[in-house]
Amino acid sequence: MTGTMMKGALAIALLGLAACGNQSADESASPLGVAAQVARDALAERRAASQPQAPARTPEQMAAEALRVNPAPLILAGLEAAGRTQVMAMTGQNGAMRTYMTPNEQALILRNGMLLGTRGLGNDMSVTEPATEALIRNQRSGTAQRVIRYYAGDGLERPMTFNCTVGAGPNPGVMVENCEGLGLSFQNSFMVQGGQIPVSRQWAGPGLGYITIQTLRP
Amino acid sequence: MRHSRLFRQLLATTLPVALLVASGSQTALAEPMIGWGMNSYGLPGGIDTPTAEMLPDGTLGATVGYSDYSRRNTLVFQALPRLTAALRYSRIDNYQIDERDYLWDRSFDIRFQALDEDPDGWRPAVAVGLQDFMGTGVYSAEYLVASKTITPTLRVSAGVGWGRLGGEFRPPSDVGQGGKPNYKDWFTGPASPFASITWQATDKLRLVAEYSEDPYALEESATGEEAPDSKINLGLNYRIGDNYELGAYTIGGKKFGAQFTVALNAHQSPFPSGLEKAPAPVRPRPAPSADPEGWSGVWANDPTAHPALQTSLGDALAKEGQVLESMAISANRAEVRINNTRYLQQAEAIGRSARLMTRALPPSVETFVITSVEEGVPTSSVTLRRSDVERLENTEVSQIANAAALTDADPRPGNLVMTPGLYPRFQWGLRPYLTTSIFDADDPFRYEVGARLSGSYELVPGLVLSGAVQQRAFGTIKQEGPADLTPEEYLAQGTDMNDFGVPRVRSDTRMYSNSDGPVVPELTLAWYAKPTDTVYTRVTAGLLERAYGGVSAEALWKPVNSPLALGAEINRVRKRDFEDAFSFRDYEVTTGHVSAYYEFGGGFTGQLDIGRYLAGDDGATVTLTREFANGWRVGAYATKTNMSEESFEEGSFDKGITISIPFSWATGQPSRQEAGSTLRSLSRDGGSRLEVNGRLYDTVRDSHSGKLYQGWGKFWR
Repeated sequence: MTGTMMKGALAIALLGLAACGNQSADESASPLGVAAQVARDALAERRAASQPQAPARTPEQMAAEALRVNPAPLILAGLEAAGRTQVMAMTGQNGAMRTYMTPNEQALILRNGMLLGTRGLGNDMSVTEPATEALIRNQRSGTAQRVIRYYAGDGLERPMTFNCTVGAGPNPGVMVENCEGLGLSFQNSFMVQGGQIPVSRQWAGPGLGYITIQTLRP
Repeated sequence: MRHSRLFRQLLATTLPVALLVASGSQTALAEPMIGWGMNSYGLPGGIDTPTAEMLPDGTLGATVGYSDYSRRNTLVFQALPRLTAALRYSRIDNYQIDERDYLWDRSFDIRFQALDEDPDGWRPAVAVGLQDFMGTGVYSAEYLVASKTITPTLRVSAGVGWGRLGGEFRPPSDVGQGGKPNYKDWFTGPASPFASITWQATDKLRLVAEYSEDPYALEESATGEEAPDSKINLGLNYRIGDNYELGAYTIGGKKFGAQFTVALNAHQSPFPSGLEKAPAPVRPRPAPSADPEGWSGVWANDPTAHPALQTSLGDALAKEGQVLESMAISANRAEVRINNTRYLQQAEAIGRSARLMTRALPPSVETFVITSVEEGVPTSSVTLRRSDVERLENTEVSQIANAAALTDADPRPGNLVMTPGLYPRFQWGLRPYLTTSIFDADDPFRYEVGARLSGSYELVPGLVLSGAVQQRAFGTIKQEGPADLTPEEYLAQGTDMNDFGVPRVRSDTRMYSNSDGPVVPELTLAWYAKPTDTVYTRVTAGLLERAYGGVSAEALWKPVNSPLALGAEINRVRKRDFEDAFSFRDYEVTTGHVSAYYEFGGGFTGQLDIGRYLAGDDGATVTLTREFANGWRVGAYATKTNMSEESFEEGSFDKGITISIPFSWATGQPSRQEAGSTLRSLSRDGGSRLEVNGRLYDTVRDSHSGKLYQGWGKFWR
């Protein structure tokens, strides 16, 4: 009995020292180290969950603060599936393509409001080729294809091709894009103003679901 | 020309989309019939009978089963969309075979689906299979089976079987000389029909009824267990989530069994893109009018420019887990030599380095050369035009692939400047370790947990002193002699030879599992070099592995764009003492191989080694491996040497399976680490190779055409 308990205590001590040394964490992963990390994360989550919650900041409060402290172009992005809304700041611009990042370096890549890619979310979209873009920006109805390339679980970049129909939405100024293919369907909504897309709700793939994007500072 | 392999690779990425995105929905593509319910042999099927069903391609599953007749533990792999392979380890109690009163027996199965089901017409899926086709043949059977989906929830299968499925009792061959294909028995003897019907009651629950002629004659005659009362068996399978399955069944109504299955699929990762942080985006150059000095290239004449650029780029690369080993820069060309310590895919490391170069280097630098370095040795160079990197960011990944040139790395270019302060480089780490031992006849699962202190001291690039000390804390692995001797009895024998005069090179491996003192698993000085553009060399001396010390020398010819590589290795080693870290036993041998490696494409690689093994026996090893772009590797090998079958003891030739799964696939965190294991069918003395760290082929390949292009999809990740 004592022996078993001793072993248990020792095991925890061993997991506790999971990584120590000057080898970078990149080189030092071991199955036990990973297990210890997962255990620590789980414990931290439980602790966080059991703590009394500070009153959640509303997106309006986050946006106001970000506009005050950050001079860069900003967007407010909401991951519907994760129930998370974050302010993202532009960290780079290549032509019309802009990369926006959160403080913990997750990124969305937009072209004048059209979602082209995601990075660091675990189910990332590599790049999207929306042939419907011109229809949406010019607020015209029509059909075209949308190709979403994503990072597949087997390590390859794989395309998914959807057939999409673009038309005016129920609210003025809103274009709706209905897409179908591969047994999936989704609907993107874009508020278009002078060719720009200040507000949108766009589907980022089967793993990520819908992302709502609002321009705070163009 | 140089793109032909790449194009094939990228083409492959566009084919089976439908399968991946919506695995539930059937499409018009010709796909094999898929089933999920495991039979008692751990393959898709009824209870004791097979069906023509396959598992989804790349599935790796393990089933642990227990019944009144036996325990069956099966590892199954869907090696190709239409080819299933299985390794089984089963126990039959009360089977008097040697001094033990039970039999632990290994068996191998394969099943091939020859015909696809026609979902609209009458044609069923048809498969042919061999069960327990080499070795003792306890479960030996062959079959031809057809399966047809009648309604979306109802599937029927019928076939004809030989051996067990044919109702025949094939006496097991002598355990001592098992391990060879029993091809003389295949599809011979009486044949009988079998059939099963499965009803998908709900998404998770499957009910099965089958007709099987298996007489369980071996169990009846050898163990006294009653034969089944009837030829009708009933069962159910219950699926829990995507990865787990429970099964319960009755054989004939009076005998019962239950089983549990875990299945993983190489194509389905919890975090397909990984959770690593977003890369720094490309920074396009300003217009020439905005930075005339930067565009003119006159900065290159400033002697402080190079060190400043190397420091700032080195710091940025370090945050991405890339060690900037050295750098060359001129007004219009920059080469960085990087050692990737973080990303499984070298393409991801190269893609991130290229983007950081756009952020750090003056605008006149148009040519980027990114050279990968492993063990201090340059393995390949990727040359990119900076304007292509700027232009093709956020486009389909094949575009940058077509704009990039992959070449052999120059071993000694003149203008490289080493990053100051990198060498000598000392690294150390203290962390827990876990060792497991499975498939042992007496105790199928053993483990040991302890702490391991490891360190490496790299004096100059390519010259590394490294070692480890480990201390066991607890576990069930213990010191044992070979052939059921106690350690004391074995030591008292005073010889390293077995009864046939064969040196015990591996069969006494358990003698190295001491329970108390610290252990030095390895302590070596290794020197890696690259004498020409395409030839790599390694010399390692010291305590090479737990059981052997000595000198190992290797050379490898591997042009960067060639699917073929040739290598040679020679080792002079001496067997280490079981306890004392720095003393040796009497056995000494020269062992070595010439090797050919070939990448067949589609992720398949083959390896042929011919030479002398540790026990002084001569022969060859053939290895076939399937590698996935995400780092999963499943392979099988077989070794045949001139050692006589008697001397080989159990099994006539060595064979086994290697499995390796990268941490990044399971956790989403970027890492080059893998969890792997070799399942040898038996741990014996014939056909054993020295285990030495840093063999060249796997060291250099990550940045060569086969693996680099396979993982090229991560360039912009």
